[in-house]
Amino acid sequence: MRRLLSLVLALIAVLAGGAVFAETCLSPYIRALRSPEQVMYLWTLPASEGHDFLSVIDVNVASATYGSILQRIEVDSSGNEAHHMGYTDDRSKIWAASLNTSRLFIFDVATDPMTPTLIKTLHNVPALTGLTGPHTPYAIPGRMLISMASGPAGDGPGGLAEFTNDGEFVASHPATNHPYETVIKPEFNRMITSGWVSQNTFMSPPSKWDPKDFSDTLLVWDLKARKIIQTLKGDPIPLAARWMLKANATYGYNISSAGNSIWMFRMRKDGTFAYKRVAETGSGCGPADLRQSPEDTYLYVSCFRRGEIQAWDISTPDAPRLHDTVQGMVQANMMHLTFDGRRLYLTNSAISTIDYSPRYFVRLIYVGPDGRMKLDPQFAIDFSKPPYGPARPHDMLLN
Amino acid sequence: MRHEGWLWLAACFGILASTGSATAHEAPPARDLAVSETPRLAVIREAPDFALADTAGRTVQLSALRGQVVLIAFIYTTCADACPLLTQRMVLARTRLRAAGLEGKTVFLSITVDPDHDTAEALHTYAGRFRAASDRWRFLTGEPLRVRAVLSAYGEWTKRAPGGSIDHPARLYLFDGQGRVREIYSLAFFNDRQAYLDIRALLAEAG
Repeated sequence: MRRLLSLVLALIAVLAGGAVFAETCLSPYIRALRSPEQVMYLWTLPASEGHDFLSVIDVNVASATYGSILQRIEVDSSGNEAHHMGYTDDRSKIWAASLNTSRLFIFDVATDPMTPTLIKTLHNVPALTGLTGPHTPYAIPGRMLISMASGPAGDGPGGLAEFTNDGEFVASHPATNHPYETVIKPEFNRMITSGWVSQNTFMSPPSKWDPKDFSDTLLVWDLKARKIIQTLKGDPIPLAARWMLKANATYGYNISSAGNSIWMFRMRKDGTFAYKRVAETGSGCGPADLRQSPEDTYLYVSCFRRGEIQAWDISTPDAPRLHDTVQGMVQANMMHLTFDGRRLYLTNSAISTIDYSPRYFVRLIYVGPDGRMKLDPQFAIDFSKPPYGPARPHDMLLN
Repeated sequence: MRHEGWLWLAACFGILASTGSATAHEAPPARDLAVSETPRLAVIREAPDFALADTAGRTVQLSALRGQVVLIAFIYTTCADACPLLTQRMVLARTRLRAAGLEGKTVFLSITVDPDHDTAEALHTYAGRFRAASDRWRFLTGEPLRVRAVLSAYGEWTKRAPGGSIDHPARLYLFDGQGRVREIYSLAFFNDRQAYLDIRALLAEAG
């Protein structure tokens, strides 16, 4: 009987494929949040002078302080250009990246989730890694992969910098463009990085941006070998990329900010990828962020220039159909969708060099079972003036 | 079949049911695309040394295993879901190593995250269910303070849930013959063939 059990377990293990529930838009290695959020961490930079800080916001709908900022955890430096964050795989720490100084800040969010603590600052990242402009911290087991936009002088191709969760440098992996975000599908040993521009470019006004510096490729990597195995060429500045969450899903999407388009990457049976444009977001959109619903049914696009949120029905994956929009979200940028796909948080600062409106905010959009969106008129955190601003709210994580 | 066996089987089916499967129009690629034959195994850090007791009461000192490739995992014997699956996947990896004649150069260590309850006898019984215990695969426990220091050194925090189960990161660590961490695996995506290829690569590196 023991042998039978062992054999059955062996068969199950062989068939299992290793897939799990992934939390939407986070690394699949991160322990998923499967209950309503209590707190939001918001990586924020001052609109003028001051230190960057982590805003701690009450998002417990039953709380008396719902929708208010409970704390500001300041870092000990300024001019960083706070941008994106990422949880470690065990969700005990948050890594927060800064585009301008290339510093990386590590916050403990496990000891007391309502009171994060800054436990380490990595000051010398360019010297350690040979790379600058950290964009997205992305969790792999016991480590973080940081997409770095450029070489040591703020120009040229960037790469991925790998650290232990505690901040010890492991290795750098060079890229052939300016890496923006990372998506991994562990079942297939495949990693895709998207691209944007170099640090020298994004920290200068748009009038000085040279199109020759715009990435127009996604890079496909053999994850275990940390080796680029294919380059997918598309529209310029392919920002956020998302791999569908279903186990063994072979496709995903990215947005092109300069191309006003949605692209689809799909893995063939031989492990190579096809890549094609599947939708137009419309002239004047300027897509800034892309999110996906947990059942892989909808994509959400923020139109930075037009101030619009678009919901795309991808039930026919190769032919996304515009399903719904929310208007009036000036300078719409970062989004965060909850585990159940029902609440979409929105902030509206991109980078200090390209923001065009001082009306900074955090808003909330409800998503119904039919995928239709409705703006919550009550949840509105005003970062344009005191007491919370003026400050630029950017990336969000929930706990 | 004993009650615990049915629990494990049910848990494994539950894990499988929850992982979903490829949709009809999404035929997954061939299985070997999931692995890399040429893994890059950067040196991540020095492996924190420790000395714990196996199920026969013998001390196992990590640093005494230099020259061998070591795979460690963290389990507890009353775990109804993830730990049995993890252990079974390690069985599959060991089977591959045995078939390739490489088992004699590797050591597996399963360390309890529940030293208060996982006695040597409990671990011996657990290992027996998988026919796992041998000189090449040791199940370790010890004085709770000593075990907890090891867990802390490897970032293996624990949280006991109201029902008695223990939440923990459940990572696996692969060490080379010089006592350095060369790979960290997530249980959720642990691929026994990839682990075998990684171990083979480290053994080839050592010459």
